[in-house]
Amino acid sequence: MIRLEKSLQRKAIRFWGWFDLPFIISVVALAGIGLIGIYSATLNGPSFNLFSKQMVWLLLGGLIFFFLSLSDYRVLNDHAFTLYSVSIVGLIAVLLFGVEIHGSRSWIRLAGISLQPSEFAKISLVLVVARYLSGQSETYLSKTQILALSCLILLPTLLVMLQGDLGTGITYLPIVVGAMFVAGLTVRIAFTMSILILLSSPLAWFTLRGYQQQRILATLNPSLDPQGVGYQTSQSVIAIGSSGLTGKGFGNGFQSQLGFVPEIHSDFVYALLTEEWGLWGGGLILGLYFILIHRLTRMGGHAQDRAGILLITGVTSLLGFHILINIGMALGICPPVGIPLPLLSYGGSSTITFMSCLGLASSVYRRRFVYTDP
Amino acid sequence: MAIFQDNKNLMERLNWLGWVFSFIFLMLFLRLWYLSIASFEQYDSIARNNQIRTLPVPAPRGLIRDRMGRVLVENTYGFDLIMFRGKEFETKRTLRFLEKSFLVSPGAIKARLLETNHYNDYQPVVVKQSLTLAQTSFLMARHSDYPLLDILERPRRFYPHRTIASHVLGYVGEVSSDELKRDVFQNHRPGDVIGKSGTERKYNRKLSGQNGLRRIRVNSKGRPFKELTPIDVVPGQELRLTIDLELQRAAEKALTGHTGAIVAMDPKSGEILASASNPTFDPNDFATKISKMQWENLLSHSGKPLQNRTIQNTYAPGSTFKIIIALASLESGLTKSVNNLFCAGSANFYGREYFCSFKQGHGRINLTSALKYSCNVYFYFLGRDLGIDRIQDFSQKFGLGQKTGVDLPGEMSGFIPSRDWKRKEIKAPWYPGETISLSIGQGPILVTPLQLAVLISAVATEKLVQPHIQFSSPEKGKVGQTTKFNTHALNTIRSGLWKAVNQNGTGQAARIKGFEVSGKTGTVQTVGRTTLKRLTSIEKSKFRPNAWFIGYAPFDNPEISIVVLIENSGSGGAIAAPLAHKVFEAFYSQKFNSNLSFSDLAQIKTIELQK
Repeated sequence: MIRLEKSLQRKAIRFWGWFDLPFIISVVALAGIGLIGIYSATLNGPSFNLFSKQMVWLLLGGLIFFFLSLSDYRVLNDHAFTLYSVSIVGLIAVLLFGVEIHGSRSWIRLAGISLQPSEFAKISLVLVVARYLSGQSETYLSKTQILALSCLILLPTLLVMLQGDLGTGITYLPIVVGAMFVAGLTVRIAFTMSILILLSSPLAWFTLRGYQQQRILATLNPSLDPQGVGYQTSQSVIAIGSSGLTGKGFGNGFQSQLGFVPEIHSDFVYALLTEEWGLWGGGLILGLYFILIHRLTRMGGHAQDRAGILLITGVTSLLGFHILINIGMALGICPPVGIPLPLLSYGGSSTITFMSCLGLASSVYRRRFVYTDP
Repeated sequence: MAIFQDNKNLMERLNWLGWVFSFIFLMLFLRLWYLSIASFEQYDSIARNNQIRTLPVPAPRGLIRDRMGRVLVENTYGFDLIMFRGKEFETKRTLRFLEKSFLVSPGAIKARLLETNHYNDYQPVVVKQSLTLAQTSFLMARHSDYPLLDILERPRRFYPHRTIASHVLGYVGEVSSDELKRDVFQNHRPGDVIGKSGTERKYNRKLSGQNGLRRIRVNSKGRPFKELTPIDVVPGQELRLTIDLELQRAAEKALTGHTGAIVAMDPKSGEILASASNPTFDPNDFATKISKMQWENLLSHSGKPLQNRTIQNTYAPGSTFKIIIALASLESGLTKSVNNLFCAGSANFYGREYFCSFKQGHGRINLTSALKYSCNVYFYFLGRDLGIDRIQDFSQKFGLGQKTGVDLPGEMSGFIPSRDWKRKEIKAPWYPGETISLSIGQGPILVTPLQLAVLISAVATEKLVQPHIQFSSPEKGKVGQTTKFNTHALNTIRSGLWKAVNQNGTGQAARIKGFEVSGKTGTVQTVGRTTLKRLTSIEKSKFRPNAWFIGYAPFDNPEISIVVLIENSGSGGAIAAPLAHKVFEAFYSQKFNSNLSFSDLAQIKTIELQK
């Protein structure tokens, strides 16, 4: 009896030892908060089954998370280029057969479910960047490597921008920028890259569509046109500004509930949650994200190879950038681009993508006891 | 080993990346704090105004009743089309709809929006008043398409007797931005309806009540979501006037076709029983927004229909002023001249000829007869002996040339000349010759009809009453102060006034068998004698004299005093006295039918109303 219990105990310890507990807690807490937000968002809205749908997505995402955690990331890493190719094909397929929603052709309908290949592409990009850089042995990246990385990332970015989805396109960039930074950049190359980006930004400005330019202008000066383009941002700021310390309470965030703030179940879920739960709620979400990012970098510290570190780097950059842009947008300091808030926003593709990324990171962490030949 | 060392660098940089994000999160938290805590009040009010639409619920104004409790002013309900200000696009769409459906002309809306510039952004604007049933249902059906529009049920002032007592009642209108700045209207908000004249104005606070508010939470499209606790309406209080509707009707009927005024007053209490002024207006025209044309018509009308001639215009009293001269003489002990004077049709004073109304002359004449026949020469002599100072003093004792303090807005004071005034304003001494014409109420002397009503009531009852229009029970009512005049002197004058009506005197047209009317006529030249001669006959008709009749009845126990003034019409005996007759008769027949005095009837009514 006693032996059996002890062996069970040991097994349990080993099983939980595979995971970082604060990491898991913050993921679960954020998903739970997201569900509360989505439930509240559907109180006065027409699409009532968003809550149960998201529940399904989260369960599915959770399964994938555990599956990836328990599997060996190196196997996936070996097939990174294959996955990358599949993603590119998927993105091209969207351009050809995609469904247009909200002005961008980003969705493909498969068996009654709308899927967004540009979301899934994020996973393969994290993997391919890690894969490409894992073979590197120099302390600093060479120019060829940087050029190759840039091409790797620019191809899908352009494809997504062709779909008319600026927001998702932008989210690809931090994956490679973060990886370059961690892999090692000489000061000279970092400086040259900054200059190049600065010089090309006016060029980028003209490739933007009219409404996209207006959105950016409206963020810089919301009073320019409070009823028009800046409307979403200013209404979101009003929602958050009128919340106070403890917020208006569940279901009482009328600024969000009555349609002044748009997309409260997806892109603006942070505005809704903060309006209803106040500084406490908004602060708690930021705190949980802080823990998540912090634990991710710690998990990176346990990685056994370059690929592992760079994988976690990609995941961290991807997540951090999404959080920064999405919450910054809700707080009125970033232009309103339609990108989801990780784990909180409604959305099947994005939920599964983030869960997969976190699963990969967890897999790196679980492998910390495994010694391999250098 | 080298790679392991290299990985250490990578891990360090990954850590750095984590701290960069942590720093960004801290910045986001500071921004969150700045919005939700530091700027809370600013955004809270924006959010409220965003979502909560306040609909005024106008309080019905209090009813106005006459002394018998008959309703003079009531409320009807009408449907108003109101519009909220919304997003520019939404506003434009709504305006296009209104234009297309021919409900409101674009010009009218623009004018209305300009007018309501002083409203705050969240207050609805009344776009069109008094919708028809068809229009109301048309709009109701489209309410969900045009959420900026709403229909408001609003009480509207209704004057069932139309022009009757319009000057006393006054009219109502939307409070202007200038009026809002005044203390009296501090409780009002833009868009409120207030009393603009008459009792509506004077008792505005009592009649107004307090508007309620409905607060409706609306969604971003302006559609109602949930109604919040409303602020209840406090209806205005009722007001009861001293006016008697039937007598008022009779007075106005008598005035038809004339320009002038009639006041009937209870001489004992100062209660105004009737107050008529012609030309008149219909206050119902003001209850809905009066059209600009209508308004200009009323203002430019030569007859000044908005003017309440009983208190808002002044006239020379003419021969009615002889009562003052007579009383002053008796009181001053000028008994010798009072009893023994001779009228030769004219008299010469200070080198100028002054004429009597009767060219052949009245011969030897005493005070009673002089009042009866309105002999000018007799009063020239009395006036000369009295002098300007005593005339001025007595006039003021009876309240002439001063506001009576009646509870109606816009009362004029009139004017009594004096030595001081002449010296200060005209920079000339008072000439004795001026006293001569003053003693028959001509010259620089101006009174309101209501002042003469106070005067004749004082003669009738020895009491100087305070005229008033709000009915109050006798205990609370102001009892007039007793004049300290010699009863004998008053009796002499009273008999003169009685004879003037009942013994073929100047006021015989006012006589009513069995009702013992006493009174005095007055005929006031509106231009000088010499000028009159130069005028053509058409011009002459314009400058016909003003006719007065002031009187009371019955002789022993006066119950009513009446003042009639008709502008540019003819002599007091021929024009004013017959009109006074009609009003006396109306009063008398009413009294005869009910066998009760007016104050008794009102008493009974008070008890009924209190129940």
